[in-house]
Amino acid sequence: MPEPLTRAGAPPAISAGPPAQPLTRGAGPQRRRSETWALLFAALVLLIGAAFGAGGYLLEQATSNWRPQIVRTQSGWRITEVRGLGFSGLALHGQRIAWQDGPSILLLDLRSGRAKLLGPGEMARATWQPAVSERYVVWFEAARAGTSSAEAWTYDVATRRRRQIATLDDVLSLPSASGTRAVWCTARDGESRIVGVDLTRDQDLVVASEYGQPVIDGALVAWARTAGGGVSAFALADVTQDRTWTVIPSGLGGAGDLTGFDLSGRTLVWGQEDAQSGSGRIVAQNVDTGAASIVAEGTRSATAPSIDGDTVAWAEQVADNAYRVMGRRLSGGSSFQIARVDGKVVTALVSGGAVAWLVDNGDRSPTWIETTRIPR
Amino acid sequence: MTAWSTRRSPRSGPFGMRVLFWLLVGLWVLNIADLLLTRYSLWLGFATESNNVMDYFFRSGTVPTVAFKIGIVTVGTLLLWRLRRYRTALFGAALLAGVFAAVVAYQALWVLSL
Repeated sequence: MPEPLTRAGAPPAISAGPPAQPLTRGAGPQRRRSETWALLFAALVLLIGAAFGAGGYLLEQATSNWRPQIVRTQSGWRITEVRGLGFSGLALHGQRIAWQDGPSILLLDLRSGRAKLLGPGEMARATWQPAVSERYVVWFEAARAGTSSAEAWTYDVATRRRRQIATLDDVLSLPSASGTRAVWCTARDGESRIVGVDLTRDQDLVVASEYGQPVIDGALVAWARTAGGGVSAFALADVTQDRTWTVIPSGLGGAGDLTGFDLSGRTLVWGQEDAQSGSGRIVAQNVDTGAASIVAEGTRSATAPSIDGDTVAWAEQVADNAYRVMGRRLSGGSSFQIARVDGKVVTALVSGGAVAWLVDNGDRSPTWIETTRIPR
Repeated sequence: MTAWSTRRSPRSGPFGMRVLFWLLVGLWVLNIADLLLTRYSLWLGFATESNNVMDYFFRSGTVPTVAFKIGIVTVGTLLLWRLRRYRTALFGAALLAGVFAAVVAYQALWVLSL
């Protein structure tokens, strides 16, 4: 029987080899295990590196000396200097205080008691008293002490960003801040000007072409005008309406010197003291109607008054080395004692339900700041 | 006199190469983290770039900075991967990744503390 013809070029038939063997599990899992170990080994190297980095950070924090001693009290905080440079320039707004510790600008959150070092920057050695608003801290810093030119800086609490906002040829006043605005007095080409910055829009504000220590609350800026060596009037400017007017201080004059003033809403509060007797009084005055009321009378060596809403706070001397921090509601009621302090209170401030005061006994003890809460 | 071939770096085995691979991946990721944290720290205004080369690029803009920073580390990692047969490449990568991890950990804690 003839064999069937195969087609030309057709591949030869494949001979049947040995029967197919099932695939063994081979090196797969072993390889995977090796891969896992390699990954773990690499992660270990990174972890050791990260541990060194974290250790370096913690060591740096432990050896840094800018942190003051912060102790919680029954109703607030007591912050004491530890560097011996002295606290000064206390500012308060809501739940935050800012102050100077030597040339350092510090910020403390009254809810957490956590302090932050805001300035000065690397190249600066001198600062001026800071101002605090709802969202911003504003301060001046300069390359060296004794210079009158400076840079204005701000710290945004919301973004945690620190940035320069202006350059001042001559610092003629401390900054004041409220909401998103900050104002100060500076000189350019020999002319004094009250200017400022809208911190959110980075827009310059020109308030007035005159000298003054401005205080801002909302859109209203106030400063004292002097004549014949004393204060003759308070000037007010609404930065949103380009409107300026004056308020004649009720009863201010005679031997009384202005100890300071503050502004909240439409109310101006100011202190007056007789330089000879040390006796003084505190007056609240409406900036629209001029209606005035005496907040306190017969105060002794009182600090400049502070106002927020209808609450006025100040500190007055009660004994040789003892002060008391006082408060009074403008809506009614008599004055009340907030705290008694064994030391000389140089600043007492109120904002919201918080009251803060700075105590400076000179060389007798380290300076300290104390805060408390009062019912709103 | 020792022959050149005997003086060459000891060879890495397959396991060493796998470790090298993951170290280089980590190094590349940490480089990105370092770039982002540095950029954020500079934006926050509390830090200054102490590396003059990077300072120049940060002043030039974001695109040149990203291109340089990612480019130079990518070239470095590719070079180390090309030398993966040598154990020196593994040690070098481990050292670099460890240093980068330390820098990034420090920066991350610092930024969180602000």
